[in-house]
Amino acid sequence: MKISAYAVFILFLFSFQATVFYFLSPFGIQPDLCLVLACLVGFRTGQVPGVIVGFCLGFIQDLFSAGPFGLHTFTKAGVGLLAGVFAKNLANRASYAAFMPIMACSILSAIVFLLSSRMGMGLGEMLHGFSSILLPQAIVDGLVAIVANWIIGRWLVEVPSA
Amino acid sequence: MRGRFRPGVFWGSGVKRASVALLAVAFVVFALLPRQSQFLLHQIGQPFADLVAIPIEGMAMLDRDLREWWMRHIALQGISEQNHELREKIRQLTGEVNQLREQALTGERLAALLEFQTDESVRTVAAKVIGRSLSNWYQGVILNKGEDGGIREQMGVITPAGAVGRIVRTSGATSIALLAIDPNVAIAGMIQRTRDEGIVQGTSQGLVRMKYLPPLSSVKKGDSVVTSGLTGGFPRGVLIGEVSRVEESEDSLFQTAEIVPAVQFRQLDEVLIVISPRSPEAMISLEQALVSPGHQNPTP
Repeated sequence: MKISAYAVFILFLFSFQATVFYFLSPFGIQPDLCLVLACLVGFRTGQVPGVIVGFCLGFIQDLFSAGPFGLHTFTKAGVGLLAGVFAKNLANRASYAAFMPIMACSILSAIVFLLSSRMGMGLGEMLHGFSSILLPQAIVDGLVAIVANWIIGRWLVEVPSA
Repeated sequence: MRGRFRPGVFWGSGVKRASVALLAVAFVVFALLPRQSQFLLHQIGQPFADLVAIPIEGMAMLDRDLREWWMRHIALQGISEQNHELREKIRQLTGEVNQLREQALTGERLAALLEFQTDESVRTVAAKVIGRSLSNWYQGVILNKGEDGGIREQMGVITPAGAVGRIVRTSGATSIALLAIDPNVAIAGMIQRTRDEGIVQGTSQGLVRMKYLPPLSSVKKGDSVVTSGLTGGFPRGVLIGEVSRVEESEDSLFQTAEIVPAVQFRQLDEVLIVISPRSPEAMISLEQALVSPGHQNPTP
């Protein structure tokens, strides 16, 4: 049941990001909802669910992305794992506490994509990618994570006290 | 936030250890054998891609319907529809005018120099845009035609207004096209007026730039840039855009031109995928003409 719910939610989220969400991107930067979900699952439920959900989400994203196949799969699994590790070592589990860890995960993931998509195009392109995509996206991902974490904690599940 | 890193928590249970080890092994295999592992993942993912395409198509349809409803009932009834139709017509006519201009120039040259005529009809397949790039790092669109519809990687994607991009990934029912504004896409282009050739490539800023233009080229602002048809994927003469700025540097051997793309990439709904840039009959007649004993190479 839980797996089916996860699968349906993942499909919905993925379809939403690929279609409607594109038009809602502020300043051309759209938050990576799949990354935020993988991180939140890792953050709230631990490393193993984080890795599994991240792997599945990344795999589906890879099927419909232009970059090398496998990049999303491994980065999402990795950030799911990292978020779980961060969460285990945090005393504060308030909604806003998700901001820094998920921003850090987003930055690490984006560095992989920066190197993959802009390697060999010169320092100018790399720096532009860093300042105009990597940093804004990390901040947007962190902010979306705060809202999502608050919604999950407020309406969907009881937050266990740390 | 307080607390400190406790390695014991990370390596806590056997399941965690196993999953981390599995992920690490998979990552090492991926890093050491990128081509093979990408191929394997792609093969495994093919059936999933067809399955996931169903909700995407559904959501895209819903999105399109909602936007149409909004435009018709909330935002400027009638006028918006008329405006949309007129814009579509202008786009089509602009594309047609450019194609015709290019065909006329090509026809004149070939008729004068080679004394034969070729049928340069292009075979295309229409496809709908059902989704957008899922990452800010790659500018791409998801199309509702895939390998089942004869679509293959590296095929060119165009609209009546101009060149859109190139197919980079395919599955049974869908394909991914990387847009011309992406830095990873390069198209062989040509300045229509001067016939100078170069490489058209996207930039991180979402612009399009034409590189490697000859230093003595008289390219100027306002010149139209079209595909040269030299490399695969695109027929000759598809409009790419208009030159907005020419960069001349004393340090560089070449000139670079900044181009305003002819296609509105944010408003793509339908595209044409170029199955064959030239018809097979045209290719055969061209080859025959080139190998025939009486044929002489045209002088530039």
